[in-house]
Amino acid sequence: MSASTSNETVTPDLSAIARPPQVLNNRGPLWVTDAVCSIVEGKTPLWWYAAISISGTFAAIGGACILYMIITGVGVWGSNSPAFWAWDITNFIFWVSMAHAGSFISAVLFLTRQRWSLSVSRAAEAMTVFAIVCAGVYPAIHIGRVWFVWFLFPVPNNYGMWPNFSSPLLWDVFAVTSYLTVSSLFWFAGMIPDLAVLRDRATTKIRKFCYGVASLGWLGTARQWRHYESMYVVLAGLTSVLVVTVTTIVASDCATSVIPGWHATIFPFYFMVGAVYSGCATVLTLLIPLRALYPQLKDLITPAQLEKVAMLLLMMASCVGYVYVYELFCAWYSGNAFERGAFWERFHGTAAWYAITCLSINLTIPQLFWFKRVRTCLPLVFVLAILCNVGMWFERFMIVTTSLLHDFLPSAWGNFHPSIVDILTATGTLGIFFTLFLLFIRFVPIMSMNELKAVLPGTQPQHGEGH
Amino acid sequence: MKKIFPHPPRESNPTLWRSLEEREGSASFTEGLGREFSDAAAGRDQDGLSRRDFVRLMGAATALTGVGLTGCRRPEAHLVPFAKSAEWTVPGKFLYYASAMPTPTGAIPVIVTTSDGRPTKIEGNPLHPLSNGSTDAFAQASVLNLYDPQRPREITHDSLKVGRGDLDNLLAKIRATAGANGGEGLAILVGREHSPTVERFRTALTQQFPKILWVQDEAIAPNDAAFDTLLGAGVRPAYDFNKADVILSIGSDFLNPADAGFGFANGFAKRRDPNASMNKESMNRLYVAENHFSITGGMADHRIRARASELGDFAAAVAKAVAAKTGDANLKALVATAKTGTVSFDPAWINGVADDLIAAKGKGIVIAGSGLPVSVQALAFGINAALGNLGATVTARQTSAKTIASLADLSAAMKAGAVQTLLILGGNPVHTAPVDLDFPNLLARVPETLHLSLFTDETSKVTHWQVPAAHYLESWGDARSLDGTVCAVQPMILPLWNGLSTIEILAALAGEKVDGPSAVRATFASYSKDPSDAAWNTFLKNGFAAGSAFPAATPSLNQTAAVSAVQSGSVANDGFEAVFLRSSSVDDGRYANNSWLQETPDFVTKLVWDNAVLVSPADAKALGIEDGGWLKLTAGGSSLEAAALIAPGHADKSLSIALGYGRKGLSHVMEKVGFDAYPLRDSSALCFRSGVKVERLPKDYYVFARTQEHENMEGRNIAREGTLEQFKEEPGFAAEMDGELTPPKSLYPTPSYDQGLQWGMSIDLNSCIGCNACLVACRSENNVPVVGKSQVLKGRDMAWIRIDRWFASADHKEENLEMIPMAVMCQQCEIAPCEAVCPANATVHSEEGLNLMAYNRCIGTRYCANNCPWKVRRFNWFDYNERPLDELYFGPLAHKGMADSLKMSKNPNVTVRMRGVMEKCTFCIQRIEEAKIGRSVAAGASDVEKTLLPAFKTACQQACPSESIVFGNINDPKSRVSKAKADPRTYSSLAYLNTRPRVSYMARVRNPNPAMPGASLVGAANRGEHA
Repeated sequence: MSASTSNETVTPDLSAIARPPQVLNNRGPLWVTDAVCSIVEGKTPLWWYAAISISGTFAAIGGACILYMIITGVGVWGSNSPAFWAWDITNFIFWVSMAHAGSFISAVLFLTRQRWSLSVSRAAEAMTVFAIVCAGVYPAIHIGRVWFVWFLFPVPNNYGMWPNFSSPLLWDVFAVTSYLTVSSLFWFAGMIPDLAVLRDRATTKIRKFCYGVASLGWLGTARQWRHYESMYVVLAGLTSVLVVTVTTIVASDCATSVIPGWHATIFPFYFMVGAVYSGCATVLTLLIPLRALYPQLKDLITPAQLEKVAMLLLMMASCVGYVYVYELFCAWYSGNAFERGAFWERFHGTAAWYAITCLSINLTIPQLFWFKRVRTCLPLVFVLAILCNVGMWFERFMIVTTSLLHDFLPSAWGNFHPSIVDILTATGTLGIFFTLFLLFIRFVPIMSMNELKAVLPGTQPQHGEGH
Repeated sequence: MKKIFPHPPRESNPTLWRSLEEREGSASFTEGLGREFSDAAAGRDQDGLSRRDFVRLMGAATALTGVGLTGCRRPEAHLVPFAKSAEWTVPGKFLYYASAMPTPTGAIPVIVTTSDGRPTKIEGNPLHPLSNGSTDAFAQASVLNLYDPQRPREITHDSLKVGRGDLDNLLAKIRATAGANGGEGLAILVGREHSPTVERFRTALTQQFPKILWVQDEAIAPNDAAFDTLLGAGVRPAYDFNKADVILSIGSDFLNPADAGFGFANGFAKRRDPNASMNKESMNRLYVAENHFSITGGMADHRIRARASELGDFAAAVAKAVAAKTGDANLKALVATAKTGTVSFDPAWINGVADDLIAAKGKGIVIAGSGLPVSVQALAFGINAALGNLGATVTARQTSAKTIASLADLSAAMKAGAVQTLLILGGNPVHTAPVDLDFPNLLARVPETLHLSLFTDETSKVTHWQVPAAHYLESWGDARSLDGTVCAVQPMILPLWNGLSTIEILAALAGEKVDGPSAVRATFASYSKDPSDAAWNTFLKNGFAAGSAFPAATPSLNQTAAVSAVQSGSVANDGFEAVFLRSSSVDDGRYANNSWLQETPDFVTKLVWDNAVLVSPADAKALGIEDGGWLKLTAGGSSLEAAALIAPGHADKSLSIALGYGRKGLSHVMEKVGFDAYPLRDSSALCFRSGVKVERLPKDYYVFARTQEHENMEGRNIAREGTLEQFKEEPGFAAEMDGELTPPKSLYPTPSYDQGLQWGMSIDLNSCIGCNACLVACRSENNVPVVGKSQVLKGRDMAWIRIDRWFASADHKEENLEMIPMAVMCQQCEIAPCEAVCPANATVHSEEGLNLMAYNRCIGTRYCANNCPWKVRRFNWFDYNERPLDELYFGPLAHKGMADSLKMSKNPNVTVRMRGVMEKCTFCIQRIEEAKIGRSVAAGASDVEKTLLPAFKTACQQACPSESIVFGNINDPKSRVSKAKADPRTYSSLAYLNTRPRVSYMARVRNPNPAMPGASLVGAANRGEHA
C-alpha cells in the first residue's frame, strides 16, 4: 500500500501564491489508485458490520412503520388539523434540500473548475442520491390513499384521470423524479472509469463480472475519454440547473399558498441557501469520520478542502440568517395583522420551541466558522456540522408546520405532537441513508480516482519555470 | 320463518355422492339437507340484526308507512316482504311523515324523512304554530338513539331473559292485585309527561285503583310548583318575545330550547333585526344576570355576573328600584318582605335596567330561570305585574290542574314500606334522584320493580324487570307542545328490538287492549271536536290537532302567595356555590349514549366528551389551578372530585357543572366521560347549592378535549359587531372594518359565475345564538362520522360546521366580556385556494359556484386543507366509519364493519367516506340536485331555466331556530339570500385574500342602553387590541 515510487519532478521553491496541493505528501497516481481501491478490496472492517446492522435495523423499523401507516391510516402519525403536514413534509424538505449540496459541490464547482472539491465530490454525489431516496419516501407514502398514487402521473387511462398541472405538488413529482434521475446518472457516469479500474484489479470472477457490467465496457481509450468528458460536462450542466429549479419548486409548495409564513416570494432563495447549507454540513459529517476510519484517505481528503466546505457552509448559513431577519422584517413592515400574527405566534405559540431552537442554532453555530481555529479543528467541525443539520431540521419544521398551526382564524389554531410512528419513520429514513452510504463505501470507489489523478502535480501540463 | 324443503329419501348406499358425509350418511349431513341455507349463511350476525331481520324490518316499516295503513300494525307474520313493495314506496325516494319528539318541556313537532322504511332525518314541522320548521340539537340527534346498537333488546327479569308473555303475565298480575286491593302498594313513576293519552290512563288508573301512587319526576324541570302558587293551579306563564322591547333575564336561558321549551329563539330573533329599527320599530334590548355564560347571556346587550344564589338579591334590587320609581304598592309590599343580604350590585346597573323596563311598560319581559326558587319567580312576576307586562307580553295558559306526587313523596312511601310494586316508566331516578332521598337503597327494598328504558342505565341495573322502551320513532303516542297543541307521535318503523311504549304498559295495566294507534285514537276522540276518520287523518298528516292548545288564562299574580314566597327566600352566603347545569350535549344524562351529541361541543366551553367544573378566572387564580386541575367539592355529606375548566365571564365564588356525566359500567360510549355531579344535589338544592367547600386536589391534570382552544380574536376582525347607534350612522360599518385589507384586484382573468343558478349563503351573526342545531343537523344529513375524545384531542374532529365562539372585551375585564358565536363551514370560495393546489383535480369548481369534492379522485395529499384559510376541510385520518373508535390504531387487526343498525341511520344520498380522503361542507349538494331534478321534471317540455326551482333548504338552514342561515340562488335578485347579501351589515370573512367566498356574514349589532355603566364597551369586540 505504501507505494512510494514517484515520477514527480522536483518542484522549485513554492511561491506564496501557489494553491495548496489537492493530494498531500506528493503522492503519485498509483498510490491514489491503491489508496481508494483498498477500501473496496480490503477486508471488511468490524465497525462496518456493526454500523450497517444498526442502520439496517433502523431502516427496517422505519419500513415497518411505513407499512403500518399504509394499512392503518395517516392518523398513526401525529398530524392533525391544522397541521395537516408535519414531520412527513418536514422530512421530505429536509432530505431533498440536503441533497442539493452534493449536486452543488460536484456539478457547480466542477463547472467552475474548483478543484478543491474533487476529493469530496463523489461522496457528496452519493449523499445526493441517497438523500433523494430518503426524501422520495415521504411524498410517496404520506398521502391518504397510497394505492392511488398513480393519479399524480399523467398516465393516459380510461378513468379520465388527469393531474392538475397548476398544483405545486405535481411540480414536485416532476422535480423530484427528474432530480433523482439526473443526479443518479451524474453520479454513476462519474464512476465509470473508476469501476473499470476495480474491474481490472479484481481477483475473483464475481467481482470481475459485477464491476465489468457496471463499468459498461470501459476501455479508457482516448475516443471514450473524449465522449465521456463531453457527456460529463452536459450532465454537470443539467445537474447545476436542477440544483436551482428543484429547490425553487419545492419552495413553491409553500410560496404559492395563501398561508402567512408560507406565502412569500423569498422562499426559492430561502430554500436554496438552506439546502446548500445543510448539504455542506452533511458532507462534513460524513467525510470527517470517513477520514478517521480510513487513514489512507488523509492525504486525499485534506483539512484545507474540508475548511473550504466549512467556508461554503458559513456563507450559506449567513444567507439563511439574512432570510430569517428579512422574513421578520417583512411581516412587521407589511402591517398585515395575519402576517404579523403568524410570526409572533411562531415564537410565542404552542410550537415556539421549534423556531427558537432553529434560530438559536442556525444564527450562532455556523458563525463560529469565521474562526480558522474552529474550521481546522476537525472533531469540532464534525460536532458543529451535526448541530447545523439539527438546526436545519428544526427550520424545516418551523416553516412547514408552525406556519400551519397559526394561520388566519385563531379558532382553528392547534398544536402538534409527533407520534412514535412519526419518530421511528424519521429515524428509519436516517437508517436508509446510512445503510446506503455504508454500502457505497464498501462496494464503490468513494473518490473519483480519475479526476484526482488529473490534479496530481506533474500530471498537468505545466507552464513557466522552463517548461 | 325458516323454510324447510322436503327432500326425497336418501339411498342407503349411494353410488354417486357429493361428500364423504353423504356417503357415510352422517347425522350432520341429513340434518342439513332440509335447510335452504347453511348455518354459516343463515347466521352471519354479530349484533342481533341479521340480514334477514333487516329485510324483514324494512318490509315491516314500509308496510307501516303511509297514513292509510298506519292503523295496520299487524302481527309480523303477515307483513309484506320488501320484495313486493307497497305501491306508494319508490325505492330510493324519501317519504315524509309528521310526528313529534316528546321532551320534558313539551313536544317538538317534527317531519321525519324516511328512506326505504328507515327514518334517517328529523326536520321541524313548519305547519305547527310554534315551529318555524326548525329543531334543536337533541331532536336532530334522536335518530341515532333509535339505531344505537347498544339499546337493550330483551325483556329481562332478575338478569334472565324472559319473553313478552312473562311481562304480560306480570302486568296482568299487577292489575289483578290492584283490582283486589284498590292499587295499594302500586306506584308508577313517569317523567314530565305531556301526552294526553298518558294523562287519560293516569285518570283511568286512579279511578280504577284509587290507592295507586302516581309519581312524576324530572331531573331538571321548571319550578311548576312556583307557578301553581303564584299564578294559580295549572296556570303556566307564556312569553311573547315578539312583542318585547326590553327583556331582563334573571338566570334564564330562554333561548336554549332544551331549557325553556321550544320556540322562543325565533320570536326573539325577529326583534333583533336592526333594519327594522330604521323604520321606527325598535330593536329589542336584552339584560341578563347569570352566573355562567349561557347562550342567552351571549346574546345580551348588558350582562352582569351574579352567583345563582344572589339572583334573588338581584331580583329584589331591581324590584326595589322599579317599585320606588313607579310607586307600585303591590311591588313595594313584595320588596319590603325580601330579605336583604350583604350582596350589593352596582346601583347604576340596577337603576339603568329599572328605568329601561319602566320606559317599556307593557312591552317588557322579566323572566327568571325556570328552575329558580319561588322567591325569585315571585319577584320577577311582581315586576312584570307592576309594569303592566302581565297580560301583555307575559301571558298565561291554563293547563289541567293536577296534583301529582313527587319523587320525595314516593321516597317517603317507599321508606314507610308502602310500595310493593314500582313501575318506573320514565327517567333514571337511581342516577338523578337528590341524594338526601336515598332512592337507590329504598328501591332495593321494593319487592317488585320494573324499569322501562331506552338504554341500560343505573336504574335498570337494579330493578327486577328491565323492559326495553320503544323509541318515539317506533311507537304510537301523542304529546303536547309548549302551547298545549297536541302533536301526533307516529311510528316510522316497527320497534327494532321489541321495545314497548309507556302507553302500551299503561294500557295493559288499565285493561285496555292496544292495537296500533287505538289508544291514541281513543284519546283523540276525547279532546277533538271532530273525532271522524277524516279529522284523525288530518291530525296524522299535519302532525298536530289544530285548536287543541291550552286555553289562555288571565295571568294575575297572587299577591299573598307572592309575599310569603318572597319571605321564604334565602340570602346568599359568602362561600362557594355549586350550580347544576343542563348539559348542551347530554341534557340531564339521557343522551349520554349518543355519540353525535357527546362529540357536539358545549355551547360555550367547546368541550366534547366531558363536563367540567366551570370556575371563574379569578377563582382559578385564587385556587391555584389551571384548566384540568382537580377540585374536590364537598356539600353536606357528599363530595365530588372533578377537573375544572376556567370559564371566562363566570361569576366569582360560584362553580357550575353540567349534569348527566360520569356514568360508569354502562356502555363504552359513556365510560370515562366526565364527572357525576348528581351526588351533590339534594332536594332543597336542585338548581344550585350554597355553602360548598372547595379544595384543590394535588392530582395530575385532567385532559379536556375542546374543539376551540383559542377564544381571542387577536385583534383580527373575524366576527364583527357594532352598536345600533353605529349601525344607524354607518350601516356598512362591518365591511369598512376591512380597512386597508380590502380585496385587491386580481391580475388574472377570473370566472364571472353570473349564469344560471349560483349558490350562496348568508349567516346573520345578530340572530345566531350558537345553539348547535345546525351542527348536529349537518352531521345527520351528511353522514359525518364521530371520532371520539382522543381523536378530537389530536384536532381531528370531523364536523363540517364548527361554531367558533369568540370572547371579546374592549377593556380586558371580566365584567364587560362579550360572546359571539360564528358558524364556520366551507366558504365555497369562487377562487378557491384549495382547488389550485390539488394535484389530482379532486376538488374542483362547478358552474354553479360550488366548490366540489370528488371523493373518488382524492388521494389525500391534504394540501387543500393546508391552503384553506378557514381550516374547514376535514380529513379521514382513519377509517372512522368502518373501525371501532377504540381500535383505530389496530390497523387490519381491528374489527371491520359498521353495526347494521347504524348503517340504517345513514343518509342514502350521501357517500360514506373512506379513510384517506378529504371531506367538507358541500352546501348539501344532494338537496340541490334533488331540487334541480324536481325542476327539470316539472318543466317538461318548457324551458328549465324559467321554471321555478322547488323550495329547499340546506340541513343547517332548516334546523336553525332563529333563521340566521339563509341559502339560495344569489343570481336571483328576489331570493332571500340575495336580499340578505345586499344588507349593509354583510361582510366577507378574510375578504382581503380575494378568494370571493360564497358564504357571507351579517355583522352583529348590539343595542346598549347609554345610561348603563360600561355602555361604551358594548358591541366593541372589534375595538380590542390589534396584533
